[in-house]
Amino acid sequence: MARMKFLCDTERCIECNGCVTACKNEHEVPWGVQRRRVVTINDGVVGQEKSLSVACMHCSDAPCMAVCPTDCFYRTEEGVVLHDKDVCIGCGYCFYACPFGAPQFPQSGTFGLRGKMDKCTFCAGGPEEDGSEAEFEKYGKNRLAEGKLPLCAEMCSTKALLAGDAVEVSNIFRERVIRRGGKGVEAIGWSTAYGKGSADADSRAATATAPAPEKTGGAQ
Amino acid sequence: MNSLTFARARHGLALLAATACIGSVQPVLATDAPPPAAASEAAALVQPGNNAATFRDVRRGENQSITFQAPADRTLIQASGERWRQLRNGPITVWGGWMLVGVFVALAAFYKLRGKIMLEGKPTGRLIERFNSVERMAHFVLAGCFVLLALSGLTMLFGKHVLLPIMGHTLFGWLAWVAKNLHNLTGPLFFISTLFFVALFARDNVWQRVDALWIRKAGGLLSGEHVPSWRFNFGEKTWFWIGVTILGLIVGVSGLVLDFPGLGQIRQDMQLAHMVHSVGAILFMSLSLGHIYIGTIGMERAIDGMKSGYVDETWALEHHAYWYETAKGRKVSKDDDGTHTPAAAPNHH
Repeated sequence: MARMKFLCDTERCIECNGCVTACKNEHEVPWGVQRRRVVTINDGVVGQEKSLSVACMHCSDAPCMAVCPTDCFYRTEEGVVLHDKDVCIGCGYCFYACPFGAPQFPQSGTFGLRGKMDKCTFCAGGPEEDGSEAEFEKYGKNRLAEGKLPLCAEMCSTKALLAGDAVEVSNIFRERVIRRGGKGVEAIGWSTAYGKGSADADSRAATATAPAPEKTGGAQ
Repeated sequence: MNSLTFARARHGLALLAATACIGSVQPVLATDAPPPAAASEAAALVQPGNNAATFRDVRRGENQSITFQAPADRTLIQASGERWRQLRNGPITVWGGWMLVGVFVALAAFYKLRGKIMLEGKPTGRLIERFNSVERMAHFVLAGCFVLLALSGLTMLFGKHVLLPIMGHTLFGWLAWVAKNLHNLTGPLFFISTLFFVALFARDNVWQRVDALWIRKAGGLLSGEHVPSWRFNFGEKTWFWIGVTILGLIVGVSGLVLDFPGLGQIRQDMQLAHMVHSVGAILFMSLSLGHIYIGTIGMERAIDGMKSGYVDETWALEHHAYWYETAKGRKVSKDDDGTHTPAAAPNHH
């Protein structure tokens, strides 16, 4: 079974926010919520500006899942971290714990209390029946069930944002790094989300993209 | 060039250190890394295209901007969330949970060994007013809020481990939703009640000389001896200051920070507020068990004062001798250290 992962190539991201818009439009995301966002590092510093798109990374050891008081999260066979909005109470703990700021809360009800949490689903919907109206209203489209990959990555104009099976994504990124002769291994968030030392293609990719031992931590 | 190579080697070491940290319990923040701006500038000169230094800044939460306007989301990777997770899921849940169980068991053991503290003399039937209606109302509003907050708070911290396996996700999700909203709505009322309550009772809870005797004799809790006191003994004063006042205000203020998230707090503020809130609340609940015990099943007729506002003269004499004396119009020196012998028991009047 494939293990789905996101990867954003900072050498390619041009900060167009196309992924953000694609996501909002595809899933009809609630007002005030942005499941994906583009962050720029060293904004305005010539030659050092890097942008990348970030959303839920569908972590292997997901902090949101660990702190949820109602245990509303679950992981699919493809490694996608999803949650059940019928069980979510909108306490905000997943937001405190998440390294990437993925969980967000539309305001609802008395005193603008937090509503049910909303986050990136890797275009995999929720616990409702695949492709049902109920699923769409709560979580947006279930593209994975239709055999499609997340729309943000599909629509990325420079193919900076990659989404899909970890092995495929790693191979593409490794190939790029080798061809452009770069020395960086800037797969930001990759090891925060997916940990280190797995025996599969992740480590092969990391080795290939980090020729000298002093760079092994670069993947962060 | 040599110095540059050296600098790069140092970066490498810092990177390895940072990498090692990521895998451990408390990741993040390689504090011995070189200053961020200098590091990324140097790296840009030596190795164009190597963003490692830049992304070390990211781990530190520096040098980032974002078009999205939420203040919390200006950080690309926040590292303190993991620390919060470890503390909340670790010591706070585990030690906190067992602490509450421990206090409960200790009180049960005390009850089994010592039994209910009974009146020694016979009740006279003559009553003294202990709490007026305003005081009782203040107490029960505060106590009511406290119980609601405690039960809903316990549901949110321990329910996942205790109730969820019994109830299942749907029912527990609904219960936890009720608990969260009840908690958030009761919180502000609890805070205001605390302020009112403290103002109302502070005067009678200041230190009095006879309190030293109470401490020396541990309140007579084990010996069964009656230690004289004014309106409140030192045990009650401890609960008032450490429990209701200090812990009440700590829990109240940190709770307001959590309850109104739209006032510019960032995630780190919420993590801190949550830890202060939950640790404070667990200590508060532990103390409250002692207070509830002695006010109900622990001591005969102790509840009368709060229930009706009046206590029997015998109870007053045995448990609050100096207060009883003054209530009967006799003079006791404020400086009395416990040598004053109260008048004969009310039965003999």
